[in-house]
Amino acid sequence: MLKYLSVMALASAVAMPALAFEPNRPVEFVVTSGPGGGTDTFARTVQSIIAKHKLMDAPVVVTNKGGGSGAEGFVYAAGYKGDPYKLTFGTNNEYLLPSVAAVPYKAEDLTPVAAMALDEFLIWVNGKSDFSDAASFVQRAKAKPGSIQFGGSQSKDTDQILVSSLAEAVGTEFRYIPFKSGGEAATQLAGGHIDANVNNPNENRGQWQAGMVKPLCVFRPERFPESQPVYDGKGWHDIQTCKEAGIPLENYRMPRTVWLPAGAGEDVVAFYRDVLQKVSKMPEWQEYLEKTSQTDQFLVSDEFRGYVQKDKEAVTKVLEHEGWLIK
Amino acid sequence: MENFGHLLDGFATVISGHHLIIMVVGVMLGILVGVLPGLGAPNGVSLLLPLTFTMDPVSAIVLLSCMYWGALFGGSTTSILFNIPGEPSSVATTFDGYPMARSGQATRALTLAFVSAGIGAIAGVVMITLLSSWVAGFALQFSSPEFFAVYCLAFASFIGMGGNAPAKTLVSMMLGFALATIGMDTISGGLRLTFGVHDLIKGVSFLVAVMGLFGIGELLLTTEEGLRFEGIKTRIRPLDVLRTLAEIPRHAVAIGRSVLIGIWMGITPAGPTAASFMAYGITRRFARNASQFGKGDPSGIVSPESADHSAGTSALLPMLALGVPGSATAAVMMGGLMIWGLTPGPMLFIERPDFVWGLIASMYLGNIVAVLLVLSTVPLYAAILRVPFAIIGPIIVAVIFSGAYQIANSTFDMWLVLIFGVAGYVFKKLEYPIAPLVLAMVLGDKAEDAFRQSMLMSNGSLSIFWSNSLVASIMGLGILMLAWPLIGKVMGLRNHVRRSRQNPSTAS
Amino acid sequence: MSEENKRHLSRRAMEIATAIATAAAGGAICYGAIEIGIGWTETGPAPGYFPFYVGLLIIVGSLANLVRAISIRDWNTEIFLDIEHARPILAFALPLVGFMIATLLLGLYVATLLYVSGAMIWQGGYRWWVATLGGVAVAAAFYCIFEVAFQVPLLKGPIEGWLGIY
Repeated sequence: MLKYLSVMALASAVAMPALAFEPNRPVEFVVTSGPGGGTDTFARTVQSIIAKHKLMDAPVVVTNKGGGSGAEGFVYAAGYKGDPYKLTFGTNNEYLLPSVAAVPYKAEDLTPVAAMALDEFLIWVNGKSDFSDAASFVQRAKAKPGSIQFGGSQSKDTDQILVSSLAEAVGTEFRYIPFKSGGEAATQLAGGHIDANVNNPNENRGQWQAGMVKPLCVFRPERFPESQPVYDGKGWHDIQTCKEAGIPLENYRMPRTVWLPAGAGEDVVAFYRDVLQKVSKMPEWQEYLEKTSQTDQFLVSDEFRGYVQKDKEAVTKVLEHEGWLIK
Repeated sequence: MENFGHLLDGFATVISGHHLIIMVVGVMLGILVGVLPGLGAPNGVSLLLPLTFTMDPVSAIVLLSCMYWGALFGGSTTSILFNIPGEPSSVATTFDGYPMARSGQATRALTLAFVSAGIGAIAGVVMITLLSSWVAGFALQFSSPEFFAVYCLAFASFIGMGGNAPAKTLVSMMLGFALATIGMDTISGGLRLTFGVHDLIKGVSFLVAVMGLFGIGELLLTTEEGLRFEGIKTRIRPLDVLRTLAEIPRHAVAIGRSVLIGIWMGITPAGPTAASFMAYGITRRFARNASQFGKGDPSGIVSPESADHSAGTSALLPMLALGVPGSATAAVMMGGLMIWGLTPGPMLFIERPDFVWGLIASMYLGNIVAVLLVLSTVPLYAAILRVPFAIIGPIIVAVIFSGAYQIANSTFDMWLVLIFGVAGYVFKKLEYPIAPLVLAMVLGDKAEDAFRQSMLMSNGSLSIFWSNSLVASIMGLGILMLAWPLIGKVMGLRNHVRRSRQNPSTAS
Repeated sequence: MSEENKRHLSRRAMEIATAIATAAAGGAICYGAIEIGIGWTETGPAPGYFPFYVGLLIIVGSLANLVRAISIRDWNTEIFLDIEHARPILAFALPLVGFMIATLLLGLYVATLLYVSGAMIWQGGYRWWVATLGGVAVAAAFYCIFEVAFQVPLLKGPIEGWLGIY
């Protein structure tokens, strides 16, 4: 009997060396935004799904480290080299921040685990504005460069990079006013203090429902899938893609990403990858994506690395063009 | 009157044994979170969020919002008893609450604070009930120039009468501005004044500064004077609670004015912290005997408290009606709303009236429950002051330092608390005012952001601050506030002259 | 901080030291601001514009305080801190520093336990077992409130590691 058991133990140890890692103490979810931010909702949704379906035995502790546009969280995680208990949640800011600000971490200080969704960007204008579609908007922008004010979240971050790319794509100039969050940019647009913003669907949904803002086009290769109408008989599917509207900027999205500190073993990465993969199959996850109008896209390993590489190259071009790259 | 019918429906949803228990639990957890300086209301609420995923939305929001009310009340308790604000918004309560408690009137100070806070909260809810749609529209008119004007007004109403050494007020306030600057700059997206120190990237937390300047600084002063709290000599009589209740009507004017300030600051949304400072400053400015302020004046307690709580409750209105959180805690609750499948925004009132009015009804009940709960524990709190200093002192120290660590899981912050503690001690003994530093730290970066956003909007023209009637009138109000001491002097002089003309014998 | 004579620290000395310290802080702020640009661009002030003038005002204010400290006669004889009062302060502050160092080495829980018990013994004159009980009670309460109830992890050291508490 004893012999049989030890053989079994030996066999399992040999058979599954890759799955050797199993967390036996609380796992910290490091959220690189403040409570209530997009990344916060993302991490807490993952947490709730893991808890509900018992996808992991170890408990999860969520800590918000949104200081310095999220740099606080990445620096914190980078300091725990090889620690398998620090899972960091972010967006593409993980690899953008080190290029635009003198933050004391490098993109390589974190190991990619997975990208779980792509958040979309749209051009929104005030509900009462006389822009009926994206084409007229672009026309006005071209007629009077610099007259249209875009609001967005943070500076030299995804929103401003998009506005800058858009200006270059259509050949005009916009003014960009940075606010603390997408929520603030949404209110300012609803109040008519700025002309447009490039918020994610979730940040402007409430105002759209009330007709206070309206979408012009979405930076997505195809239209949104069919869904319920939101306002005035129009739903997400009725929004033109920006390409249809004649804007030569087909695709601009923001991945929702998960990272481990660099030096974490391959078995550790594999473990969390599997857990997150299971999360992404759950109905609650689909519900979250649908509610926030994000696109389901689960990327891991080389696919994810390739995505990061491509995204980084595209963005770096804009940064270079604007002179935002730090030496 | 339509709203009234909705409200009755709301009460019908909320009044049940199940919900009342949730309220009591929420308030008690909130008080605990508010008392501990490291755990703020936003942390507490976000920690409860996962629990609510399986609840129905009405019960969930009742739990979270009641926790918020409890935290607001808990924050005032430590301000008054130990000079340690548990929440940023209760800093202004320390100015008069702590001196009153030290003079042996802890029960009175706590009762004043709780009751005026309760009045403020209820006033905020009444406003939401009656004026929700109108107020939501008003909030939308605020943009960066208006925000800058509001912050100017907050400064103007608080400053201008600094002690006998204006240079010390200046240094203190400017240090506060500098501290607020440290970290990531919203407008340029770059780091400022971090001097290559990694731990400064996240900025210097306001709570860290306050815990050091007020908490540790005060403990150093207390030990110097011989290791004991003055409150120790007083007997605690439950009757004092009732006697203080009878005193409340005398502060009606101060409370009324502060409530209005609080509601305004809550919906615009400039936040409860700005509201409490502004209310304190304005009450002092209009007080007949301003020299009593800072020494335990009762209106110095009721004003910041009623403003803080009316702002805290009103802050939920922009969240519900516009999808804009009016405070950090409201932001977390909004995250919760989305997870429960609701979309905060104007349509929420139409699509889910049961939820909205259930919440509003629970705000009435939850605040009443909270006031009753905290009032019944006043003698207990005051009794804490009778625990020997050799026990309570180290516990306070441990709570402060663990709190400092919790804010960002950083031991660097613990050293900062120590440095701020020494600075607070030295400043207090050398008569450097600390309040301007704290105010500048809270509003400094917001004011600067608003100013620079306005400059971006106007292409660098300062005329934007007079460009419409709203921003111009707030600016004008600010200038009036700044000049008030001068105006007061001129008026006083004129009265003096007139009286001396009428009756020359009494003039001298 | 210069001591004017052996037994006490005069208020004037402290005023001067504080003014110099704040002026130095102001200088550092100006330096930091200059590094990030202090101009007024066509789109409003540069990131360092406000910090620079804030730093400048601190220096100006500190100089005014310095002049005032030197010119006010009474402050020369006024005592800021004498030996008699310094003793209780040190008795409070030194354990505090010890607490910080213990935190770095042993984590917050063990440091809290040591600090609370130590303070009860040295400052309160309690018997050692009462004090230890008090320290353990506070540390345990912290653990229950922060770690268990609110899931906020505090700093842990090697001892928790041996006990298997994470």
